Parts: sequence; structure tokens; C-alpha cells
Amino acid sequence: MSASIEITNVSKNYGTLTVLDDISLSIKPGEFVVFLGPSGCGKSTLLRMIAGLEDVTAGTISVGDQRVDTLPPGKRGVAMVFQSYALYPHMTVAQNMSFGLENIKVSKEEIQRRVHLAAETLEIAHLLDRKPQKLSGGQRQRVAIGRAIVKEPKAFLFDEPLSNLDAALRGRTRLELAQLHARLRSTMVFVTHDQVEAMTLADRIVVMHNRKIEQIGTPITIYRRPATRFVAGFVGSPAMNFIPVQNISQNGNGVAIDASGLGILNAELHLPTAFSPEGAALGIRAEDISVLPAGQSGIPLIVEVVERLGDRTLIYGRLSDGTKLTAEADGRAQVNAGDRLEIALDISAIHLFGADGVAHHAVGG
Amino acid sequence: MSRDTTYRPEASRASRPLLWIATLLAIVTMAPVAWLVGLSIKDNRELMLGTESVFRVPYTLINYINILYSSQAFGWFFNSMVVAIGQTLGVLVLSSLAGYAFARLEFPFRRTIFVIVLFGLAVPEQAVIIARHQMFNWFGLHNTHIGLILPGLSSAFGVFLMTQFFKAIPRDIDEAALLDNASQLRIFWKIMLPLTLPAQATLGIFTFLHAWNDYWWPLISATRKEMFTITIGIASSQQNFAQSEGLGFLSAQAVFASLPVLIVYMIFQRHIVTAVSGGAVK
Repeated sequence: MSASIEITNVSKNYGTLTVLDDISLSIKPGEFVVFLGPSGCGKSTLLRMIAGLEDVTAGTISVGDQRVDTLPPGKRGVAMVFQSYALYPHMTVAQNMSFGLENIKVSKEEIQRRVHLAAETLEIAHLLDRKPQKLSGGQRQRVAIGRAIVKEPKAFLFDEPLSNLDAALRGRTRLELAQLHARLRSTMVFVTHDQVEAMTLADRIVVMHNRKIEQIGTPITIYRRPATRFVAGFVGSPAMNFIPVQNISQNGNGVAIDASGLGILNAELHLPTAFSPEGAALGIRAEDISVLPAGQSGIPLIVEVVERLGDRTLIYGRLSDGTKLTAEADGRAQVNAGDRLEIALDISAIHLFGADGVAHHAVGG
Repeated sequence: MSRDTTYRPEASRASRPLLWIATLLAIVTMAPVAWLVGLSIKDNRELMLGTESVFRVPYTLINYINILYSSQAFGWFFNSMVVAIGQTLGVLVLSSLAGYAFARLEFPFRRTIFVIVLFGLAVPEQAVIIARHQMFNWFGLHNTHIGLILPGLSSAFGVFLMTQFFKAIPRDIDEAALLDNASQLRIFWKIMLPLTLPAQATLGIFTFLHAWNDYWWPLISATRKEMFTITIGIASSQQNFAQSEGLGFLSAQAVFASLPVLIVYMIFQRHIVTAVSGGAVK
């Protein structure tokens, strides 16, 4: 059973401090939505408001057809997996998983059936008699998910559940979560500040910043067509390059952009007539910059630092006017600090950000 | 056979004098206890001739047998048990409820009330004894078990200890229980209370020992001999030494009175060490 979640004009204040400001969002039944943003942006608060662990100052929240923002947490039909797992330390795994069902007077046979089914699904059947302190981090994580599954909730809420796991386990659990979602087709809301988790798990990402939603979109949309300079800078590793713009002029169907150290670039890009180059920046991702073979001329780049990641090489350098730029090359690229490279930009992949931070994308990017 | 590889540092030369001092202090502390036990297993007539006979055979259990037949010690022992167990249970229940409320529930003047409770730590019992005596007199509570138990129930230390312990439990735990549709009472009873068992054990032990050894309030409140607690009973026997059944018998009573304390220490030794070390020892 999965349900939609409707968040309408929701705000949250602590006294005079506003932590969420007029948030509206529709989550479809069965959708996997990730709230992504830096610490303090309000993503966990929004999740906790859906769960009922925080009051709503203004606005409404509905799960399915039912308005839930006035209901206590246990009556909302949602289950939550906490960052700390929040397992009951004195109870066994089986007791942890069945506690919620006992509270709503589910029969013992049904509790046993659901616990065993969830345990089989999560491969923790052999741990049912153990207490949480006898489990590894990954096993605790599974138990926390199992505790949520047995309740057969209308929606699952995950509050940074992978952040306490080591890198290898995090990757594996991420994959398992994706498989679980594919199997259950439940509505899932997942909070993280890790863009890899967001990109790999989400049907849609909600990027949050400064108490507001910056952009809602599919992972590829968020990555390729960020709505704002913040989204462009926050999503993607290495972060998008931002090069200050000196001047912009109309040039046939497109524009001619005079950007620091890059010279004049002609791009097919539609800008509003009131667009001002003052405070504007050109954005381009490292993978959209290519290193030209020796002998070809392009934009000169002096290499300062080289990071070899195996499958690719990140090149941190400076343009002729000192502007910093990060480029990406093949993992086998023979590049060293101090080298002078010639680079080329994929013009169709550039973005132009006005002083207000709003993005304008090159046609075809 | 596996070799014990636990690292045990040997006493360094510098720490040896400390070891000697500690040993000396232990002897000074234990000598009166050993003396008491020695006296309790000597015949009273022998002790009349001189207490140095404690170092000589024969020894006897006659004083302990006499407690069974010719002493009020059993009655006093029973009174002490009722008072100590009653106070311990009462303090555990009240301190747990109050601690949970102060740590987790929102209610008006919560902080102010907590400060007032803590203020109780600073008020010596002697300062309120006359008012308390008068109040208990009005309600006719002197020379009753209730009258002996009641004053010990208002444990500011217990409330403080339990409040701090509840505060140390991560909020995620009760939030998870809320999402599990548990009521506030069920969260307290099924989730929070079991998690405070170490603190309950600590508080229970200290309360029991304090109640068992308490001398001051029973001395004032229990004026009838049959309502004496064991501490008051033994003290009254010693004051009346000339008419008493002898030094050996008095000593046997004292040893008898110490037994519950010893048993509590032996059973809960680990918790006592943890409590005294402030949780530094796991």
C-alpha cells in the first residue's frame, strides 16, 4: 500500500526563527523522493513534520486522502528510519520489529508472519533473537528498515539512514534500498546531504537551501539543467566551474559571452531582454571541458594540482587571467602539475547564471 | 590452555608507599569490624574478665542462638526491613516518574520546579526536623511504619539522578516509539524505564543502605520499643549496657544487623562500584 504525500504552503517557525518558509510539494504514490541540501537547510525538519515529530506552524500535510498534520505520529500511517536507527536497546530484534504492531493490537500470528517475512526479505532471520548491541552497523540498519516494513506503512521516511555506515557498506545498502523500493513500490522520502545517494536512489530530487525548495526534478534534470547557481554548485563532484562574465551581447540566434580567461564564447542561449551581465557567471562542469591533444590550440590552462581517481583524472588549474578552473581527463592522461594545457569547452553544456542566481541553459545542453 | 594476556601493571617503586598507606588504612577500617565479629563469638562470662580473651579459644555461637530466643532484635530487624524496602520502592517509583517528567514532558514552570527540587539537596534534615516532627504529630504518624518511611521518599538526589539519566537517553528512541503508536505511559513503562535499570539499581542500593543505617529520624519518631528500627534498638541496648545481656550478645546483635547491608553489597557490588565511580567503570 503506497500513498501520495501532499505538502501545501508549509512553514515552520521556532519563535522568531523561520526554518521552513512556504513549502509546497506533491509526492506521487510509489515515488522515491530525496530531500537534498546542506546542513541546516530544513530538509530533516520537513521530514519530521511529515512524520509528526515536529508541529506545523502553517500549511497542511496530507498522506493519501487524509490530512495528517493534526494527527499524532503513530496515526499518520508512516514509518521512519532514523539516522541513529533508534532501536530499542533492551529488546531483541524480533521485539523491536513487533513493538509497533503490538501497540495497534495486531494478532500474534499476524505479527509473527510479518516479522518473519520482513526478516527473510532483509536477510536478518538469523538475528531475530539478538539484541541491537550484538549487531553490526549494517545489521542494525536492516533491523531499522525491517521495523518500518512490518508496519506496512503508506509511506517510508528515511532520515539520513546511511550516514553512519562505512563507504563500502553505504554503497551496498544504497543498492539494497533501491531494490527494496523496486520490490515494495512504496512511497519513500529520503533525506540526505550526499548527492550520490540522491542521484542514485531518487525518482525525483528536491534540492533545499535556505529554508526553501530550490528545485524539484529528476536526478538528470537537476544535474544537467540546474535551476539556480546554488543547485549547480551543490550537485556534482567536482563542483561546477563558475567563471565571472564581463560582457554579453546578442549574436544572431545566440549570445556572445565574454568570460574571464575564456575569451569570447558564442553560445546558443536564450536570455531575457532584461538580463544584465553584472554579477553574472558562466557555469560549466569539469566533464564538459576537454583537454586538447598536443599541437592543437584552445584555451590555455596552467595545471596546479592533479587528482588521479583511476577511471578519470581531475585537473585543477588556472586560466590566463588567474581564474580557477577544474577540468576532467581520461584516467590514463599524462598530466602533471605545472603543465600548460590547451582546453576546449562543450558550448552546448554551458549555463549562464544571473546575479539573482537563476540559470539559463545553452540549447541542447 | 590459553594464556592470560591481560595487561596488569606492577606497582612501581614510586607507588609502593601509597600501597602501604592504603593497606594500613584498610586495617584501621576493618579492625573494629573484626573485633566486633570476634566479640560476638565469645562467651559473655569470659568477656567480663577481659576483652583480650577474644584472641583465645574457645569460641561459641551461643550469642547468635540467644538472639533467636531472648531479644527484640528480630522485631527491630523486621521494622528496618519494612522501612528500608518501603523507602527504596517509594523512592524508585517517585524519582523515576519525576525524572521522566522533568526530562521529557513539557509543562508550565518545569525548570522552576526542578530548581526547587534541587534546592532540597541543600537543605539539611536537621533544619526541618522540628516542623516535620510537629506535622507527623498532628497526623498521628509517629511510631508507625508509614511515619518512618514517608520522610525518606522525598529524595531530591533520586529525582536529580533519574532526570539526568532520562535526559541521556537519545530522543530518537522515544520518537521511534511515538511512530510505533505507543502512548506516553507505554513509552515510559516499556521503553524508557527498562533503559534506566542501571540508574535504578544505583539509586535503589543507596536508598536501601541509607534507610537501613538511618538513625536520626527513627530516633525521633519511634519512641515505643516495638517500633524501633535495628539501629535504634542496638543503640538503646548499648546505652543500657549495665543491664544488658553482655558484650558478646550486643556484638552478635550488631553483626546480625549488618547482614542485610553485607548481602546487598555482595549482590550489587558491581553496581555500587559503577555508581561510586560515576559510570567510569563499565
